[in-house]
Amino acid sequence: MMRKPSVCQKIEPELVATAIGDADTTTAARVETHVRACAPCRQDLARYRAIDSAVGAWRGAPAPAEELVGARLTSRLADLRRRTLVYRIFPSPLGPILIARSEEGVSCIEYLTGGSDFAHSRLSREEGIEALLDGAEVEALYRDLLEYVEGRRTRLEWPLDLRLARSEFHRAVLQATAQIPYGAVRSYAGIAGVLGKPAATRAVAQALRWNPLPIVVPCHRVIGASGALTGYAGNRVMLKQRLLAVEGIRAIGPRSDSRVARNTLYHYDRNDQREYCLPTCGDIARRPIGPVTLLASRELAGAMGLVPCSACRPDLHPLAA
Amino acid sequence: MDAERFDTLVATHHREIYRYLARTTFRTSEADDLAQETFLRAYRAHRTLPPDANARAWLFAIATNVAKNHFRAESRRRRAHAAVRETRNETDGAGPEGETLLNEARALLDTVVAGLPLKQRLAFTLRKVHDLDYDAIARSLDCSPDSARAHVFQALRKIRRSLNGSEFSLGRDER
Repeated sequence: MMRKPSVCQKIEPELVATAIGDADTTTAARVETHVRACAPCRQDLARYRAIDSAVGAWRGAPAPAEELVGARLTSRLADLRRRTLVYRIFPSPLGPILIARSEEGVSCIEYLTGGSDFAHSRLSREEGIEALLDGAEVEALYRDLLEYVEGRRTRLEWPLDLRLARSEFHRAVLQATAQIPYGAVRSYAGIAGVLGKPAATRAVAQALRWNPLPIVVPCHRVIGASGALTGYAGNRVMLKQRLLAVEGIRAIGPRSDSRVARNTLYHYDRNDQREYCLPTCGDIARRPIGPVTLLASRELAGAMGLVPCSACRPDLHPLAA
Repeated sequence: MDAERFDTLVATHHREIYRYLARTTFRTSEADDLAQETFLRAYRAHRTLPPDANARAWLFAIATNVAKNHFRAESRRRRAHAAVRETRNETDGAGPEGETLLNEARALLDTVVAGLPLKQRLAFTLRKVHDLDYDAIARSLDCSPDSARAHVFQALRKIRRSLNGSEFSLGRDER
């Protein structure tokens, strides 16, 4: 092939740009001037234009099998979306906390122990999910949670996604626990009773040990029948004590055996009159907590639709705050 | 970007992304897989996309990366090149004597484009078929806008040289 004159080689990019409509008017004018005097370049310009117009036919032209390809994408995307949890790790007064949510709701709150990165989380070992670090979506949850831990908020009205519960029974335990109001305490046996499985106390405790949503599913409001705080988040019973204190429920005794101070709490033992009592009413405070619910305030009792006991009259003799 | 906007994004752009991948990878089954891969990646990343970002250009950039990974090995590119020839022979069925010269030239154009180096082929397709601007093409190919322009130029020059002497070079418009 004969080599082009250098002026033609130099103008070729501009010539191409002109042919495919990418050139500005100055460039196009320069190219026009050149091709008027140069027959080979004129021919090239025509060829480029021909190519451009042929390629133009590709625009908007359907690809083969186009009608068939959407379905698999739809199902794979739906599957990915179901599996995806977005999370972020935040500092908190309770130590680093991981918060994760799906498109359905909040699915994991985890106290990170042994390191504040994802590799140390239980979430990283869960199967069947895809965890994505991101979390503009969990930022608002974090703010709510901070307010809650600092006692400036009493409700976390989040949609919950209980997918990380390990069984239907665990899910039922979590749901029953989520019903315990702010400022109230129940026992493991009490939850087992609510679920119609009075013998399942240990199984309830086990389910709460695996609670994927501590704080928002308030397992800290569930204690032993003796009033002992038992465990929390591994060996972090101090956290339980702290969360209860925020709600007005004091614990007493040494760290290894701290229990709620029953004499500072109202007692509700299920009865047809829906009456709640002072801890001094009969032997109520000496019996195992079992089905009894302990309440931090008379306001809470009222909000739960309870009425003062006609014998001990908590309405006339409020407990010292 | 929220989940609802992502749904809209899929509905609006799935077809053209599939077309882009079909044109650059030649096999529809591969293009389907790669389009799925593109949107799965997009789903994983869509939360970080600023609200005012050009979502279409962003999707093309993801698709381009997916395509580049797919073709990373030169041998695969060669196989694809061979595949497009096969496909043409299959689909054009009637045999050379039944084809018009223009069709033959168009098939040749397809083959020539298929044989372009990957970056040129991608840049050329993004510019000429999907009408992306050079800034967007540059982001897709992870190069400067000038390089993107140069890729398109090189692609066209190769196409013209490959087609020189074929009926196509005196295409319909000139007759």
